[in-house]
Amino acid sequence: MPAAALVRGLVDQWLYCVSVFGRFASGIPTDDEQATGLEKIVLEASKRGTDPYSILKPQEYAGSKQDPHIVPSITNKRIVGCVCEEDNTAVVWFWLHQGEAQRCPSCGTYYKLVPHELPH
Amino acid sequence: MAHQAHAYHMVDPSPWPLTGAIAALLMTSGLAIWFHFHSTVLMTLGLILLLLTMYQWWRDIIREGTFQGHHTPPVQKGLRYGMILFITSEVFFFLGFFWAFYHSSLAPTPELGGCWPPTGITPLDPFEVPLLNTAVLLASGVTVTWAHHSIMEGERKQAIQSLTLTILLGLYFTALQATEYYEAPFTIADGVYGSTFFVATGFHGLHVIIGSTFLAVCLLRQVQYHFTSEHHFGFEAAAWYWHFVDVVWLFLYVSIYWWGS
Repeated sequence: MPAAALVRGLVDQWLYCVSVFGRFASGIPTDDEQATGLEKIVLEASKRGTDPYSILKPQEYAGSKQDPHIVPSITNKRIVGCVCEEDNTAVVWFWLHQGEAQRCPSCGTYYKLVPHELPH
Repeated sequence: MAHQAHAYHMVDPSPWPLTGAIAALLMTSGLAIWFHFHSTVLMTLGLILLLLTMYQWWRDIIREGTFQGHHTPPVQKGLRYGMILFITSEVFFFLGFFWAFYHSSLAPTPELGGCWPPTGITPLDPFEVPLLNTAVLLASGVTVTWAHHSIMEGERKQAIQSLTLTILLGLYFTALQATEYYEAPFTIADGVYGSTFFVATGFHGLHVIIGSTFLAVCLLRQVQYHFTSEHHFGFEAAAWYWHFVDVVWLFLYVSIYWWGS
């Protein structure tokens, strides 16, 4: 009978929860205790202050030679689309290579490729 | 690089969209077969396939989210948008039936006697079972909020108790409404009054059953430790749906049961 199974399950789980989670009469796990897979990786990274999966908005840079736009990449080149002025409809696309900072062919702001580590 | 550089979920190939589409085809054509050739075989087959599809598809989502950790914050955000959009589409679904009700009741035709309720219709007393039903659903809105706070605060026993209470209240509503349907002095065939009453309240009742089922699945998952105090979107989706069902009832009660009497 499903009701009996539910009750038995509840009793079993209650005993388990007291022993494992050590919190009497509560016993709902936290993300720290139970998150797994990519969710866990993202959680631990955000606790360390990193953003390996680019969930957050990219940081803003001046775009000058001294403060170029930092472009993270998992390989040694990445496509950049520069909207030189706000509301421009023509996006300037170019490959950004590893090494010295490159300039947008249209507005001249600086972009620098930096290696980006992915957790595995 | 074997792994993705983003936090989204690229799902594995799945047969359930296809079986769902086949179920839809079998149910619709089965309905036509039933109407014209008196056989319910095709439609029943479609219904079984639909239930199997829903069970397996949602089971797979639970596996992907809870057991495999694919539901990162961006993925969860997408699921939230999805549920909100779905509920919005359901709001428009009910809006149609309210439109029909007000169209017919605001300007009752001579065939109805030029009045609403139409001549010969004895409407249900809004201060009897319908009022109890209102109290039941409002109370269930309170208990589901209690369940949510219990989950967020890590109170397992209270979460289970309040969620169970919510489901029982939903079942109580359904039982009360079923007896009302049985005892009603008018039927769906009684002109536009019967049509608007039973189609609007009937679809609402169906949504109560769907919502109660959703909550029951959440209860099973809660008992089995699926939810964490921070991440329990399945429960939140069920609670949103339940509040929506409650709000639709309030509009039904005020419009059809109260003003419409």
